[in-house]
Formats: sequence, C-alpha cells, structure tokens
Amino acid sequence: MNHSDTKQGIGAAVKRNEDERLLNGQGTYLADLEIPGTLEAAFIRSPVAHARLGAVKVPSEYSHHVFLAADLDFAHPIVAATDDPQFQSTKQFALAKDKVRFVGEMIAVCIAPTRAQAEDIAQSCELELDELPALWDMDVATAPDAPLIHEHWRDNVYLKTDVSLGDLERARKDATISLSKSLSMGRHGAVPLECRGVLAHRDRRLNELTVYSSTQFPHVLRTCISRAIDLPESQVRVIAPDVGGGFGAKGNFSPEELTIAALAMKLDQPIRWIEDRRENLIASPHAREHRYDVTVHANNDGLILGLEAMIRVDAGAYSVWPWTAAMEAGMVVGILPGPYHVPAYAAKSQSICTNKTPMGPYRGVGRTGACFAMDVMIDALARELHLDPADVRLLNLIKPEDMPYQSITGKQYDSGDYPEAARQALAAIDIDAIRSRQATGEKDDRLIGFGMSCYTEQTAHGTAEWVSRGLPVVFGYEPALARLTPDGKLILHVGIQNHGQGLETTLAQVANEELGIAVADVVVRHGDSSVSPYGMGTFGSRSMTMAGGAVSVACGQLADKVKRIGAHLLQTTADAVTLSDGRVHTETASVALNEVAEAATLHPERLPEGEEPGLDISAVYEPKRSTGAFSYATHACVMAVDPGTGEMEILDYVVVHDCGRMVNPMIVEAQVVGGVAQGLGTALYEEIPYDNNGQPLSSTFLDYMIPGCAEVPDVRMLHIETPSPHTKYGIKGLGEGGAISPPAAVVNALNDALKSLGADITQTPVTPLRVLEAIESGAVSPL
Amino acid sequence: MKQSVSLTVNGRPVETTVESRLSLADFLRLELRLTATHLGCEHGVCGACTVLIDGEPARSCIALTVSLGGAQITTLEGLADDPAMQIIKQAFHDKHGLQCGFCTPGMLISTRDLLKRTPKPSADAVREGLSGNLCRCTGYQGIVRAVLKAAEDLAAA
Repeated sequence: MNHSDTKQGIGAAVKRNEDERLLNGQGTYLADLEIPGTLEAAFIRSPVAHARLGAVKVPSEYSHHVFLAADLDFAHPIVAATDDPQFQSTKQFALAKDKVRFVGEMIAVCIAPTRAQAEDIAQSCELELDELPALWDMDVATAPDAPLIHEHWRDNVYLKTDVSLGDLERARKDATISLSKSLSMGRHGAVPLECRGVLAHRDRRLNELTVYSSTQFPHVLRTCISRAIDLPESQVRVIAPDVGGGFGAKGNFSPEELTIAALAMKLDQPIRWIEDRRENLIASPHAREHRYDVTVHANNDGLILGLEAMIRVDAGAYSVWPWTAAMEAGMVVGILPGPYHVPAYAAKSQSICTNKTPMGPYRGVGRTGACFAMDVMIDALARELHLDPADVRLLNLIKPEDMPYQSITGKQYDSGDYPEAARQALAAIDIDAIRSRQATGEKDDRLIGFGMSCYTEQTAHGTAEWVSRGLPVVFGYEPALARLTPDGKLILHVGIQNHGQGLETTLAQVANEELGIAVADVVVRHGDSSVSPYGMGTFGSRSMTMAGGAVSVACGQLADKVKRIGAHLLQTTADAVTLSDGRVHTETASVALNEVAEAATLHPERLPEGEEPGLDISAVYEPKRSTGAFSYATHACVMAVDPGTGEMEILDYVVVHDCGRMVNPMIVEAQVVGGVAQGLGTALYEEIPYDNNGQPLSSTFLDYMIPGCAEVPDVRMLHIETPSPHTKYGIKGLGEGGAISPPAAVVNALNDALKSLGADITQTPVTPLRVLEAIESGAVSPL
Repeated sequence: MKQSVSLTVNGRPVETTVESRLSLADFLRLELRLTATHLGCEHGVCGACTVLIDGEPARSCIALTVSLGGAQITTLEGLADDPAMQIIKQAFHDKHGLQCGFCTPGMLISTRDLLKRTPKPSADAVREGLSGNLCRCTGYQGIVRAVLKAAEDLAAA
C-alpha cells in the first residue's frame, strides 16, 4: 500500500499497517490454519432447555470418535464467582454431566477428518433426556414455586445487591414530581463476523500444548487452560491468530476451549472446532437482557433530586469466567447516574439464573442498559413537565468546574466538559430547525422526532476497579517489550490482541512519537503468550491506554539508550542529539538507527564505555490512578416514523465525542461509527427471543438481523479532546463508547415523534410491530 | 456420494472428484487452500464467501461444487493482478474501509462488481449495492467512502 503521510506520531491519521495482508486475502484466521493431522470437531448440544441427561447412545462404529463428560473427567469445571459471600456460583463442566441447563449446552464432542463427517457422527447419536420445566424468563425463574436450576442453591438468583446512598427520604419529600417507569432491553448476541474457534495440539518436541483460539486474551486463557487441566503454564502456549471481530464474546474462558484443549491433550491429537453461525447465535455468550423499574424524583424545573432503581438481568444458566454473572448488574448499579448529578440514589439488583445461554461481556457491557434507562427517564420527565429534554439534560449534566467529580457511587470522573458535548450536538443537528419542521408537519404524513443521549464511560479500568469487583483476575496493567533489530527496525511485543482496532498501527505511532521511527518500520507482535510478557488482552476499552502507555515507557527508555549510543558514534553527548526520521541527529550530522542497532547488537566494541549491549527493553505500565479514564459523548438523532405501518427511518445522526487525546483520529472515528452501528442493532434490529419451552427463536441470519449497509446512516462526528490527567498522553479508551447511547437516543426520538399519539416505547429492539403496539396502547389510555 | 467435475479456478483448470454435498467454499478452502474466501454464516446471507462464478458474484457457501462443471471460478486470490481490484484495495486502505478484515474479501469482490455495473454510484446506490455483504466492525461508513473513492479513481485511471 502507498503511505504518504509525513507526520506519524500521536494525533496523525496514519493509514493502517495491518491492511495489506487483510486486503490481499492473506489474513490467517482460525479456520485457515494448517496443522498436519488435524481432526475437526462437532459438538452434540442440548436440544432442550432443562433436562436430566441420561445415556448418550453412540453407534459402535463411532465409539472412538465420540467423547462424553466422563472422558474428560480430569478437566476441572469452570467456576466464576465474585468474592461476595452471597454469590451463588455455578460449575460448568467441559461437557454436561447429569443435567443440561440451556439449549446449546455441550453434551458430547465428535471428531472426524472433516466437519461434515463429524456432524454425521453427531447426527447418528441418540440422547436420553428427561425434561424438566424450562425457566425461560426472569419472572418464571423467580416465581415462588420455581424449581431450582442449580439444585444446591437457595433460589435462582446469582446475587442480589442493595445500595442506598445520600438522603433519599429528603429527595422524595422535596420532589414535586416522582416519575416511575418500567423499561427493558431485548436479549441479543455480540455476533462477530468470524465465529469462535479453537485448535489445540501437543508440540512433542517442546512438550507444550499449543492452543490456537480466536480469543481476545491469550495469556489469561493460557492460565485458565493450565489450571483446568493441571499443566504447568510453561507447557501451554496460546496463540490468537487473526481474529475476525470479538466485541467481548471472545474474551471469556469458554467450555469449548476447555473441551478442545483437554481432548487434544488426552488423545495427543490435533483437534479443531470452528463455531458455525447457529452455534454462535445460540451458544456464544448473550448480552443486554435487562429490566428496569426506575423512579426519578425531581423539582418542577426538572432538576433531579433522587433516583431509585430495581435492575434485573437475565444472566442465563452459568456464570461466565472471569466476569461472573453479576457483572452486568454490578456495572449498571455503579454507572446508572451516568453524566448527571444525582444527589441521592438507591439501587437494588438481581442477577437471575435462567435456562438460557450464559450472558457475557458485549461492547458497552452494563453501560448501554444503564444509559438507556437513565436517558429514557430524563425524556419522560421532560415530557411530563412540558420541558424540552435538552434543557432538562443541560440542567442536570455535571459541570466542567466540578471535575474531577466523584459520583454518588464513588466513581472518579477524571475530566471533561459534558454540557459542551451536549450543546455542540444540539447545534450540529440544528434542534431549532427540527422543532419548526415538527410544527409544520411532513408531506408524507410521517412523524419526526428528536432524541439525544449522554453517557460517561469508564475506560481502561485499573487495579482499584477490578479489586472492587472482586473478580478472579485483576487486569490492572499492560506490558510491552520493544526490540530494535540490527537493521534498525522495531518489533513491539505486546500482551493485547488486535482484532480490528488498528493497534498494529496506533502502537507503532506511539513508537514513532518516542523514537522517531517510521510507522512502516514497526512490527507489532501480539496475540501469542510466548512472544510477549504476560498481558491481559483486549477488552474494556483498555488496549490503547494500557498497551500504548507500556509501549511509550519501553520506547522512551530505548530512545535514551539509542541517543547515548548515537551520540557516542557522532562524538557528542546524549543531550546534544534528537531522534527523528529514523536517525539520531546533531545539528550538523546524523547516524541512522541501523548503525546504532548494529553497534548495540553486532559490534559492542563500538559502544560507549559502560553501555550494555543489546536493544531490548521491557516495560510495564499502569495509569497514575487506577480508577479509570472517563470518555463521554452526546448522541443526537432525528427519526421519522410512519404511524400507519410502524416503519422507521433515521434521518440524521450526530456524535460529539471526547476520548481524550486521539492517537489516530481516522481510527477513532471508525471505532465510534462501528459502535453506533452495533448500538442501532440493539435499538432496532437484534433480538434472540425465547419461547416458553426455552427455545431460542432466532438462530440464523434470516431471523437475526444485524444492521446492513442500507440500515446504518452516515454518522456525523465532532470531537472534543480533554486529556485524561491519569494516563500517558492523556489517552482515554474508546472502543465501546459508540455502542452505548444509540438505544436511548433512538427511543427518545421515537417517543418525541409519537408524543401526540400518547405512545410510549419502553423496550428494545423497537420493531415496527412494537411501534404499532405502543401507538395502540397510547390511544387506549392517552397520557 | 462422490462425483467428478471439471472447472476452472483462477484461470487454472481443475479436475476433481468430490462429495456431492461439498460446497464451493469448502472446495476452495479445504481442497485448493484458497483461504481468502471466508465463511461467516454458511447459509447465504452474510456475503463473506462471495466469489465470481462465470464473472457474476455468488455465495460460494451455498453453491455445490458438483453443479459447477465447466464454470469459471474467481476468488480474491485470482484478482491479485486485476487493475480495478488494485485500485479498489488502495481505496479501502485510504478510506479505512476495513477493521478486522473478515468480511473484506467478499466486500471487495462485491464492490468490483458494483462499480462495473454502476461506474458512478451515489452514496445511496453504494449502500443498496453492498447490502448483501454484512460487516460487523466498520458501521459501513469507511466502506462507502472507499467505494466512492474507488469509483473516482477508476474513472481517472
């Protein structure tokens, strides 16, 4: 590819290093790997939601091709619990033992030279299942007489929490309005375009189990596999090859990974499983199914005095490692007040166990639901008080002079100007023009509405945050090993995993900033537990902040050494030289990086006295404060609705975004737009409903819709850059943010459009049918 | 049941005997090791597996190899020297039209076909024209910009 940019450091819109192989079809994903002798796996998965598992009848000719729980009894089950003593934990075995608890749970694994043959074998087996009542919904699972999904539990709730902060009694008393609503989000999937996959084989020479997985966290997965099958970590290597999107769904320790690793070890045989789309929709971790009962207490100006919420999350049948089944609800409780000043707050939460696919992390995690609940309430409050929702928001947004701000739940919002983002969004979308257009009416009789949503997003969570959650792992830091090769090029070995975020480019930009080396001369090696120091992987909008910080520290130290050696070669002192364009410069002379590198590696006799040979520097980075760097944004949109058909169209969509210092604005914009597209999926299209037998009703792309090219609008974007005081360069994370606000912004716009009909949409995804139902119930009992 | 079939893949004649159920995608990927063709859904919706069959874009995941006797198959690998494809790839690079890269080969092949049929498409026509190729990463904005730029660059070439 042709690179033409000259400035390449922090802030430059450098084109990506990783594009060339991907554009030439040379990306190598899990299914593209070639390990000689690999057998392909197909799982027999439970066809029912809840049953006692009897015998699995395997035709005798396949007895050496089919493996059951008993064959893998040496593998420890996956247990993900918080340190809260009230948390009721699950044991998820590699393959189901005695009982199945959701449609899609793995019962057996069949292996054959091709996946088609493995599926034939799976088809030939018979299952004995003694069905139990399916607890297919949160209300069903928490009914007083509900049977227990995990027999030793008190009830079907992983964890209940209850907090009360500030003077809520006074808020209730002082309020002139106390508005209550029930809101809900549909269940859906993360749906990366490349499904999950695992290939494990034992390297006999190294006596090492090599596990290729389409994972977001190779080192952490190595730890999991080593513990689960009692191998020393030195005998396990995890490699994530090219990964075709993750969005959270590949940042877990899955039973599929455990099964394939354990079976490859047991049989001393390379085995691969490639998830198909049906498995992906029914058995990859699910997301988003939250229900809220919220009350907001306010005065007549719309000033919020207090907030009360009951949050229920359908966490599915097992607790996903390491996040636990309480993650969603816990995050919602912590961030529900969002960017608004809330002086009194009470929240109860329940993370409920049902006979459904386990819920795991998905872009935005609890924040999308929290933002939806809070921002839909603010619009409802404004409607009730006959105020403009924009005014109510501006009244309640935390002011820049209050930064840093400690929220009522103890979150440390580090920096930013939240009202400015809202004002810029209102100006960009031209709110006055929308209001007058609404007053005029549309020629085609459609109704149009305006909606906005503001969020603040904790990113790059550090040690303090993870400790407070009581998880099995504290993801507080990130390493980098910077290695200058004798020819003067740089290899960065990092513990994160790049699956679309552009980190092979942006980390090189950090190296350019510190070392003056061209981005094209930097190779970023990631996704392999054997090539970098122990790292935590890519999730939680952390990699640019954390790994970027580590690369900066390592390259900074490397730069010092390069300057010392370069100065010696130029017969001057280190403080008299600078680094740029791949050279060490004095005012009159220069020496190239390869000459410096050659001296440090191949010709130590050329080094200054006392200088150690070698140009490998390893560094670890933690932000100065570990309470997170808070990105924020306002999303504003205009929707048109046909009240006769319920059909909707997005007429305009604006994002005003602040992720601190931008390393690469081109990549920032694309990450935000990609997030918005997924958020619009949550808002309008994506849902995996279950029937009352616990059967998932959308298991193909014919009935599960992800937004296509014609569904996503051209997003207009404006940036504010408020550096975080806690992080290197002031970077804040941004990977997830785009997906947080769209459901709230869209629902607010629809409710604004349908105001005259008294319709009140409270549920995502908003389908045309749900619009018509809202119109109908609005007409029956107008507000 | 196995059947023999003769077809042309990227200009090279191929004679083979395959299971009648073997999809073209699996044949290309497993037998010929042409792995630029990706499988995103295996039921003909996502478009990641798009290849050219006799010059027309088609879903290789739902095309059966044995039904393609005499057909000319072209994958992304076979378009490495195609001048139009080189311009399209450069435009995808310049306009950040890809993130994880998994949908990209199918997206490039559909783009080439779209621009052949509609050399100067509007943004809406691009969105309509690529609506059979799903991307989960980009939100399509970079892709649309890339296709519009490719159209300009092809016109200038």
